[in-house]
Amino acid sequence: MTTPTPTPRDLALSAPAKQTKPSSSGPQPQDRRGRGGALAGKALLRVGPVAVPFRWRAVVVAGVLLGLLLGAVVVSLSLGTPYVAPGDVLRSLSGAGTPYDLVVRDLRLPRAVLAALAGAAFGVAGTLIQSVARNPLASPDVIGVTQGAGLAATIALTSGAAAVLVAPAALLGGLAAAVLVFALGARHGLAAQRFVLAGVAVAFAFRALIEVVMLTAEPIDGLRAQLWLIGTLAGKGWTEAAWIAGTLAVLLPVLLWAGWALRGSALDDDTARGIGLRPVARRIGLAGTGVLAAAAVTAQVGAVDFVALVAPQVARRLVRAERPPMLCAALLGALLLVLADLAGRRLFAPTQLPAGVLTAAIGGPYLIFVLLRTRGRRS
Amino acid sequence: MTALLSTRDLVVGYEGRTVLDGLELDLPADAFTVIVGPNACGKSTLLRTMARLLTPRRGAVLLDGTQIRDLPTRDVARRLGVLPQSPLVPEGITVADLVGRGRQPYQRWWRQWSTEDGRAVDEAMRLADVTALADRPVDTLSGGQRQRVWIAMTLAQDTDALLLDEPTTFLDLAHQVEVLDLLHRLRAERGRTVVAVLHDLNQAARYADHLVAMRDGAVVAVGPPREILTADLVRDVFGLDCVVVPCPVTGAPLVVPARTQTPAVPPVPAGTSAASTRTPAVPAARTQTSAAPAGTSAPAGAPVGDA
Repeated sequence: MTTPTPTPRDLALSAPAKQTKPSSSGPQPQDRRGRGGALAGKALLRVGPVAVPFRWRAVVVAGVLLGLLLGAVVVSLSLGTPYVAPGDVLRSLSGAGTPYDLVVRDLRLPRAVLAALAGAAFGVAGTLIQSVARNPLASPDVIGVTQGAGLAATIALTSGAAAVLVAPAALLGGLAAAVLVFALGARHGLAAQRFVLAGVAVAFAFRALIEVVMLTAEPIDGLRAQLWLIGTLAGKGWTEAAWIAGTLAVLLPVLLWAGWALRGSALDDDTARGIGLRPVARRIGLAGTGVLAAAAVTAQVGAVDFVALVAPQVARRLVRAERPPMLCAALLGALLLVLADLAGRRLFAPTQLPAGVLTAAIGGPYLIFVLLRTRGRRS
Repeated sequence: MTALLSTRDLVVGYEGRTVLDGLELDLPADAFTVIVGPNACGKSTLLRTMARLLTPRRGAVLLDGTQIRDLPTRDVARRLGVLPQSPLVPEGITVADLVGRGRQPYQRWWRQWSTEDGRAVDEAMRLADVTALADRPVDTLSGGQRQRVWIAMTLAQDTDALLLDEPTTFLDLAHQVEVLDLLHRLRAERGRTVVAVLHDLNQAARYADHLVAMRDGAVVAVGPPREILTADLVRDVFGLDCVVVPCPVTGAPLVVPARTQTPAVPPVPAGTSAASTRTPAVPAARTQTSAAPAGTSAPAGAPVGDA
């Protein structure tokens, strides 16, 4: 097991119950099994002026997921032709110089890193979009971003445009679809239901246009577009990974804010205004961030969709929180996509299946399993 | 008494329909104000506009003399707590967590919790008597408990004033009384200003220090219930014939609808009650068609407006 984050020595971890003294005397609310206090079972991370409550359970889950992710990456670097023993993989990664450097560091590592980054971005996008849509089934393809990116990519792939233009075109297409959805949904302050309905409408319209383009294209171009639409990591590596990493890095300050702002997204608008929030501005900010992440990652790896749908919901149930936890969703998304890509490479080797097929094959049953296990709760 | 919330020439409407037209009202500080009126008279609209949940077409809402729309929403949230009519409970959220949301106006994304937050949340849960439920998910609670949790959330906001839109509507009678008693305690013991929209005239008369009666988007009468709540007012506002008698428990005006279409209940001879075994041992109140009941003293502890 790995520790989730390197913890600075001066950071004080303290149970809130010790700090929150009841203002009046007598047998007061501190009898809740000695934990929680007003913080509802959370602990408090304090560093200088920063004070962030967190759940130990979330920390443990994040740690386990990170450990599993690193393990999955090592396995992914190890399996294949030729097989490289995990020990050799680690030696090669540490720069010790092994005969497998080419295979491990140049061929397999870029793709594994890409899978992890893309999965994390999908997890983040799904968390944000589901929270704004207040719907556990919302994801980039439900609100049209995937189809917008897909249409632009299909046009680029079938019109003989240069290969380097496909990703930028897809990014613009995804964002254009999102702008359309926002414009349609904005009249009622991007309220959850209207947001989803506008998204579904835009998704269907773009989907139809994709079919038109595919049917009028040369068969070979249509096939390439089809592969793009399913989503695959084959033949991709550092360049795509760098784009996604760059996007996430740019979005990082926004994501830090978003992790906090998501807290208010489960409240209705009147209640939110009552406690001093601006729900509409907040929704647009959160949805916009999610859409940017979704469009950026879809542009690079195609429509590997199931990750964004599954990761937030499964992470939420693992953490037992009332909303999807973003960090855990990102780690779970990364793990899911690394495993899906590995399975796609190896299951029917030498035939490679696109990762997009495998994410659905792995994620679908797992989501069903999780839904069945958490019976009796309203969802 | 000083006005905490005032409206000046307030015009509010929804898509073409004007609900409030030039409404002028001053709500006193340190009082429990209840707004009553028939359905669609604009009482919720008024409350929601004062809570800045609705934007007026014209006119202004003043909070301590300052136009509320000129104040940052975070600052308003530190002075004015708002409980909407049927707030959505986030799935799976625990009581302590939800009450903690009331601290939002004091928090920033880098400082999401302080000792003061903990103190305020504990205090709010104790006041609303939900401390024992702290770790329970809110969606597993009864309606009355849930409403107390929401009130605790607004209490954690640590505001001088509290606006509540029909806080008793979906509760059974015992829970209605429970919630109203809590609001009364907040006013009496904590000096909070409470403003609520209520449906039940008799509860309004019993708990309010200050009654606002509305009809068709206009204020018909304002004042202490014992002074203004008469059969004439009820006929005027609700279009209902009634008699007003002193409440046998508190002495507050009690509105009893006059005979309408309902069949008469056979008169029960005193002492030989067969159908009703729980007839209170109270001398038959003299029916008065208008005048306020005078001289009926309230038992100790009953919520009666202290002048």
